[in-house]
Amino acid sequence: MKTLTMAAALIATTALAGTAQADKLDDIIASGTLRCAVVLDFPPMGMRDENNNPIGFDVDYCNDLAAALGVKSEIVETPFPERIPALMSGRVDVGVASTSDTLERAKTVGFSIPYFAFEMAVTSNDASGIKSFDDMKGHTVGATAGTFEAIALEKQINEWGDGTFRPYQTQADVFLALSQGQIDATVSTSTVAQANVKTGNFPGISVVGKAPFDTDYVALFTNRDEYGLINYLNLFVNQQIRTGRYAELYEKWVGGELPALTVPNAYR
Amino acid sequence: MFDTALSAADLIFLAKGAGMTIIVTAISVAIGTVLGILFGVIRVQLGAVLAAPLTFFLDIFRSVPLLIQLVLANAFMGMVLHLRFSGFTIACMVLSLYTAAYCAEIVRGGIGAVPATTRRAARSLGMSWWQDMRYIVAPLATRVALPSWIGLALGVMKDSALVYVVQVTELLKSTQILITRLQEPLFLLMICGAFYFIISFPLARLGGYLEKRWSND
Repeated sequence: MKTLTMAAALIATTALAGTAQADKLDDIIASGTLRCAVVLDFPPMGMRDENNNPIGFDVDYCNDLAAALGVKSEIVETPFPERIPALMSGRVDVGVASTSDTLERAKTVGFSIPYFAFEMAVTSNDASGIKSFDDMKGHTVGATAGTFEAIALEKQINEWGDGTFRPYQTQADVFLALSQGQIDATVSTSTVAQANVKTGNFPGISVVGKAPFDTDYVALFTNRDEYGLINYLNLFVNQQIRTGRYAELYEKWVGGELPALTVPNAYR
Repeated sequence: MFDTALSAADLIFLAKGAGMTIIVTAISVAIGTVLGILFGVIRVQLGAVLAAPLTFFLDIFRSVPLLIQLVLANAFMGMVLHLRFSGFTIACMVLSLYTAAYCAEIVRGGIGAVPATTRRAARSLGMSWWQDMRYIVAPLATRVALPSWIGLALGVMKDSALVYVVQVTELLKSTQILITRLQEPLFLLMICGAFYFIISFPLARLGGYLEKRWSND
């Protein structure tokens, strides 16, 4: 009986030890390939060039991470709703997919510290003389109906009690209206604002400043229990900022004022 | 009116996707047919009761949607067996078994269509089981099974569009990539449909030709 218990205990210990040793960080290095989930229909974070090769901020970020690990990178295209299932089913090792680090998602996956932030930016018609968020008071402004920024902007206009808010169907309509002078300013995520200004399709408009709305912080993610890898990702994000690579990539893909990745008055 | 951003490089990209569709289909149909014949013959020889486990196994592949099979097979290989197979390998494995499951039914039906009296006559003439299978059953069953087999091969070719979930960029996936970039869905889907037609039409015609040639003459 005693022998049997001993044997059972021994087997159980071996089994446990066996699973504990399988660290994802080691697996990635051993396999020689880092598979990243990237959303490729979300310019400028992820898109394809004219030869249909993946490019964008997230693609470069994944390549940097693979280079840091000393492995090859493999971009696995995942639509927005597929990002977490792709990780869960073992199709990817890490998500570099502009994923907001919500508490709800953190119940399923483990997030790194934020590696990018979508700030709300004010874009104005040059003729309106608007130079900051507060300058919009008393002007006619617009945004894409139903979006977070449209709701916040309309609320702000009502608070000021001065000025008009106009909703538009699509983001392109907003910039067209702005360029034609139907509205004096709009609020959108900084990436969208910079990308539209850069296209040159909308003359006479420029990004003038930040809007004091909630910033959308996005983080890298991997399996919740892979602390070794999450630690590595945290250090990697930190190193990207320290070495100036983050600023370099931001300038390359977005342009404009670099968003801060830290929250004021918080440890992390 | 026909103003498109589609470039020659994009057409080559689509052709590469079509090539991937053909390769995946060819491998799966080849392996699936060999396995299907094997499973079909085993099922006939063993009888319903003894072959029940095999029948059940094949029924899984016939009744679970292919998309789910692919995702689960990929997850099983990676998370349970800790094997890192390429998406292409997984796609070929799953599609082969899927084809085999259907092909086994077709083979079983084909063998069943050979009159029992004919087979008994063959055995009475002193033919061995192997000779009976080779010279009597195979030629007769093939004629019966061919149209269904062609249908199966065409079906597998179109079902192979689902292998995009394991990161194989075949024809439909390459089309979707172009749609995302160029925003011309209808035009691109028409081209994609034309590609599928070009691939399937010769196979369908080959089936028609063989059927005609092998019909009672």
